Amino acid sequence: MKKILKWAGIVAVCLIVIGFIAFLYLIPPFDLLPREAFTKPHAEVVASALEKIDDPVERTIAQRGEYIMSYSDCSDCHTPQGDQGPNWNEFLAGGAKFELRNIGTPYSRNLTPDPETGLARRTDDEVKRVLRSGIFHDGRFFHPTTMPWPGFSNMNEEDRHALVVYLRHIKPVKHKVPEWSAESSDALYLFYPYDYAEHEKK
Amino acid sequence: MLIAVSLWIGLSANLLGAPADKEAVSQQTVGKSIYETHCAQCHGADGKGEGVGSALLNPRPRNFTTGMFKFRSTESGSLPTDEDLMAAINNGLHGTSMPDWAPFIKGDSLKQVVDYVKAFSPRFQKDKPRPVHVGSPVPYSAASAAAGKKVYAKLQCADCHGTDGAGTGAVAKDFQDEWNFETYAVNLTEPWTFRGGATARDIYLRFRTGVDGTPMPSFAGAASEKEMWDLANYVVSIARKPVWNMNENEVKEFYSKLDAQEKADPVQRGKYLVRSIGCAGCHSKYTDDMRIVEGSQLSGGLTFDLYPFGKYVTRNLTSDNETGLGNWTDQEIKRAITQGISRDGRKFLPFPMPWAAFSALKEDDQNAIVTYLRTVPAVHHKIPDPDKPNVFTYLWGKFKMLVLKERIPAPAYPMKEPEDQQKSVSQNLSGVDKNIAAHDEHAKVVQR
Repeated sequence: MKKILKWAGIVAVCLIVIGFIAFLYLIPPFDLLPREAFTKPHAEVVASALEKIDDPVERTIAQRGEYIMSYSDCSDCHTPQGDQGPNWNEFLAGGAKFELRNIGTPYSRNLTPDPETGLARRTDDEVKRVLRSGIFHDGRFFHPTTMPWPGFSNMNEEDRHALVVYLRHIKPVKHKVPEWSAESSDALYLFYPYDYAEHEKK
Repeated sequence: MLIAVSLWIGLSANLLGAPADKEAVSQQTVGKSIYETHCAQCHGADGKGEGVGSALLNPRPRNFTTGMFKFRSTESGSLPTDEDLMAAINNGLHGTSMPDWAPFIKGDSLKQVVDYVKAFSPRFQKDKPRPVHVGSPVPYSAASAAAGKKVYAKLQCADCHGTDGAGTGAVAKDFQDEWNFETYAVNLTEPWTFRGGATARDIYLRFRTGVDGTPMPSFAGAASEKEMWDLANYVVSIARKPVWNMNENEVKEFYSKLDAQEKADPVQRGKYLVRSIGCAGCHSKYTDDMRIVEGSQLSGGLTFDLYPFGKYVTRNLTSDNETGLGNWTDQEIKRAITQGISRDGRKFLPFPMPWAAFSALKEDDQNAIVTYLRTVPAVHHKIPDPDKPNVFTYLWGKFKMLVLKERIPAPAYPMKEPEDQQKSVSQNLSGVDKNIAAHDEHAKVVQR
């Protein structure tokens, strides 16, 4: 009787261990997540906001901007990742962290038109200057390995305008991203795709 | 007594002299510190135009060591005036990544930056700028613009800028500038991209002075004063409306025309997409301080260590048959870009290659990218396959991510090449350096 119990115990423990390993092996992130988890936003999160624009000119330009935003991959850095892929309710709200040797620790910014934490605080010219020249609104410089502005500087001015018009019309998210800190790591380049923003306690 | 007087004179001379010296020194340090915090990232600390941001920019940042500047109010081949340089810094150069620095560099410091920039080239000590005499302008009128149209034909502007001024003339292909970088004929219908400014006077100055270092010559001898002003008025007259000033019908018509244009010229469209997305930002070789190695653009080589999934090196996208995309079919390239599936069926991780974002690309744009990548000159650069971890590392990494909720970074760094490959790279690079140095004696003088 005791022997049976002992064996049953051993088998149970083994099953639990094997089950746990299988669980670890099979569960996401990120290589086993359904691939749709990363491609969702363009239909669901984005398009609906643009239909509400009253001005037909703005709407047409914003649609071009939406297309440019999608293929330019803004959301890979500006939408933080959770365990189940990107947090779509924080679409383009920023918060991912970079650590760069000798340069510091920037965080991806909140691109939504939120008046307190987002791009509503910046003029069109300031946003375009970032995209064209990597110059922050206060004159600081983005290292190209964080914000890849040297690529975006090859965009023509009208497309850049369309992108800015689009950003003015997406859903505002209140999402306070930490300020750029001067601390830097020994590693050359580290990217933490998670959310480092302050969240209001509910 | 005499000694005392001479001592006093000496002392006072010292006292008088010292502040002036100090001021000069402090002025230079102000110029230097502004240059290093604002300009060096593109123009380089040594003024050669090879800063960290420079490798992907079109046009490239100016190399100050040659003392050759494009947008001046001085004779062809002459140095620019201080005012020319100040205007370029203040207003920026539209249509390039040189921003308007007016909000950030103000007052005296602007002059000090200009002095610091001038110090990169010994030409400024030897020569003086020779400003052109700007005669009395011909005010804008339909008659003057019509006369300008004839001058446009007479001077054969259409050869490069096209009959409609859109910059697509028959000759305007594969232009290179004095620094061996690609350049192009400006689209004259888009005045917001005119680097030297868009007033009739600015445009007149471009014909009058030429754009040094590019195929755009000075027409000082070939056309009269009046003809050049008429021509400037003509260029003003052919400006089209920018998208931000259009009404509903205009904007719709504009975008549908643009669509047709993009389909008609897939190489150009593909080049635009590949450059504006910044594919070469990852698909390039990097130095140990995270600068792109010149000439390695699009040939791959940046390593991402995606613990616990393995190490991935960005692939060679050039048309090389053995190591690049030369042997891939169009379908295979498109599948890799938009679905993240490699030629052999391996699946990419969702990042850093943003195939999920590229899945939004329209079919025509995907084709355009493929068409353009086929035209990229082959670079032989063998990229190793992803370095997959063993199952224990993989499980332990996942345990840390999922159960211990550890935030695991994705580091990127330059790939360490085998030694023989490193050698060939450094040989290539020294060859490039020699070309640049041979290009201008002044560069060597500055190096010494």
